[in-house]
Amino acid sequence: MSGRKKVQGSGWTPLWDRREFLKQAGVAAGSLALGPALLEACGGSSNPTTANGAAIPKPRAGAKVQLLQWNSFVPAADDEIRRQAAEFSTANNVTVTIQTVTGDQLQPKTAAAVEAGSGPDIIQMQYGWPHLYDTACMDVSDLMGALKSQLGTVNQVNDAFSKVGSKYLAIPYCQVPNAWSYRTDLWQAAGLSNYFTTWDELAADGKQLKDKGQPPIAVSLGHAYGDAITMWYPVLWDFGGREVSADGKKVTINSKETLAAVTWAINTWKAGYISQNTLSWLDPDNNQAYHSGLITATLNGASIYIKETYTTATNHKYAPVTNNAPMPKGPSGLETLNLVFNHAVMKWTQEADTAKAFIAYLMQQDNYTKWLNASVGYNAGPFQKLASADIFNTDKKLKPFQDVVATGKWPGWPAQPSKATAQSQVQFVIVDMFAKACTSGDAKSAIADAEQKLKRIYETPA
Amino acid sequence: MGTAISTWRSKGLLGPRIRILEHEAPLGYLLLAPMLLLLVTFLAYPFLFGIWLSVTNAQIGDNGHFVGLGNYVFERGDTVFLQSFANTMYYTVVTTIAKLSLGLVMALLLNQVFPAQRFVRAALLLPFIIPSVLSTLAWRWMFDPTFSVVNWVSVHYLHLPAVNWLGTTNTALASMMVVNTWRGIPFFGISFLAGLQTIPVELYEAARVDGATRLQQFRTITLPMLRPILAVVLLLSTILTFGDFTLPYVLTNCAPYNSTCVLSTWAFQIGVNGGYIGIGAAISLVLFPLLTVIVAGVLIGLRSEN
Repeated sequence: MSGRKKVQGSGWTPLWDRREFLKQAGVAAGSLALGPALLEACGGSSNPTTANGAAIPKPRAGAKVQLLQWNSFVPAADDEIRRQAAEFSTANNVTVTIQTVTGDQLQPKTAAAVEAGSGPDIIQMQYGWPHLYDTACMDVSDLMGALKSQLGTVNQVNDAFSKVGSKYLAIPYCQVPNAWSYRTDLWQAAGLSNYFTTWDELAADGKQLKDKGQPPIAVSLGHAYGDAITMWYPVLWDFGGREVSADGKKVTINSKETLAAVTWAINTWKAGYISQNTLSWLDPDNNQAYHSGLITATLNGASIYIKETYTTATNHKYAPVTNNAPMPKGPSGLETLNLVFNHAVMKWTQEADTAKAFIAYLMQQDNYTKWLNASVGYNAGPFQKLASADIFNTDKKLKPFQDVVATGKWPGWPAQPSKATAQSQVQFVIVDMFAKACTSGDAKSAIADAEQKLKRIYETPA
Repeated sequence: MGTAISTWRSKGLLGPRIRILEHEAPLGYLLLAPMLLLLVTFLAYPFLFGIWLSVTNAQIGDNGHFVGLGNYVFERGDTVFLQSFANTMYYTVVTTIAKLSLGLVMALLLNQVFPAQRFVRAALLLPFIIPSVLSTLAWRWMFDPTFSVVNWVSVHYLHLPAVNWLGTTNTALASMMVVNTWRGIPFFGISFLAGLQTIPVELYEAARVDGATRLQQFRTITLPMLRPILAVVLLLSTILTFGDFTLPYVLTNCAPYNSTCVLSTWAFQIGVNGGYIGIGAAISLVLFPLLTVIVAGVLIGLRSEN
């Protein structure tokens, strides 16, 4: 490798002399010039092209690529992506490794890698991280064009998060739809038949559960980066409230619509129609409470249902009496928010082509469907042709998790995702507004507090 | 060694560079050099880099440019920052006093002779030995109002109302203090115990002969003799508590509604999760002048006592 060899007693001498070097260089140059033509002539493949002519890069033999992502709440999904990585590695003589960390470790690790300018070749970007780390994400618009021509249109939320300005800085990967999982036995014991379809019905059903002494409906009002966000943004939107104008410049949180949303939350929470014990809940807490039989219903990814039904972890304790329901709507309509994951190829990678080729491999329809089926409905595909999986047809109880995808929005909506919308999200401004209002009972003060914070983020940033 | 040096000297291998090491001062500095290098690399550089970041508008992945004290001025108008500052002071003062008092009591008890003394001493160190993340997670479960064993005991056995430990500002902050105190007591206790065991028994014997009560012995012998250790332990504990991150982050993560943020967790939220690393650095360095005064005061105090 060094180009030098050791000759006994005479120190280091060049491995190649001038003549040998010129000979090797000539062969290499000739190969470079004629390689593609020779490959074509021999029937070998150059880079595969798509219908619109865009090329999917070819992996470089011997390359090593690492992908960093979270630990899925459905371990089988991680097993499947590891299997596909091994399969891709063997087929292309490369080494692709999948490194997983807990959800709340992923962002610090990503930030550290971005700041250091080195780390994994591919990083799973959650929510609006491509906007936050735009200086470190490689432009993958070419690959995106190729995938679009193969797989059809892209879900608007994945698209908004992946596209920064006119460039795609990440490849849409999936969504983790959040819908309601609930206990049908407790629902019936409270004399309830249908699941709520509006926020007012949720309050009424919560009252009925309370009156009949059943465990409550419970959703996080704490700093849960998944469950709290996916609950309280839709409440705001469904009553017509918006945190900022569509151009992202004017804070619009202080409105009568927001007041209506916050008042609904105060009335529901103060009366005990939703649990009052969730102000410190993080994402795993509602799962634990449900599996322990302490709550009747909660907003979550499909992991609760999957754990009850498809794994032996709970001995299927509540499997027969667990059902799922989509998000309710409010006076202004029905909007939802789901976790969104996209893959970014990082600028520091030395193996961009292999990294892109691996992402393209994961997104191949048959591979992606295997992964979707392994995740048993926990994930939803971002492209038109990846939206459905066998599991959604065989298990109708999973349908609500498909239903919430189409109405999905992102934090900061209707403004496009940006550093400011990401900042507002990580500071939990909207969730905290509801939490503060519920505990204090003072809607106007909580809204004013949120407005002051949002103005610092959107109107007078540092 | 001497033989080897004389052999090298006779062969002319020992030049002036080697001879210089025979002097005490150059050799001393040479031996110090690796440690100095380590300190500069792992202490001074990150610290100075942190100061530099705090006066820039750097974001994650973007070095930014010099903005003077702009970040400090900007944070002055942030209500969560002000709350975090107040929480940090409150958290540090209350827990340090609690750890000091209870640690002293623990040391005085452990200094007595009793059965299974060694086992008890080792067992009381456990809170300090267990990784913070694990013990804090356990406390988190104990405080969660839905699963709380604390509430279960108080409701079922003591017939007291359940408390939403992590759900209100005051109880959540108090919970943080309880866990910090629980974790910190062994450090104070064991340090004081080591100090107690260095006090000559003769002093107490002489005091008893003079008719001194236990309280008088404690006030006039034990406390003065423990003062040097007390100052050092107090200093270390204050610095560590001011900068405590793991415990507040795992226990409350600033909830409910950022009311339990301390400076370290708020700096993390803004600087790492939010990407504004320049502002994050400014938030985390805001206590530096105060800590400098405290450290200088304690060190001067120690020197004057000597």
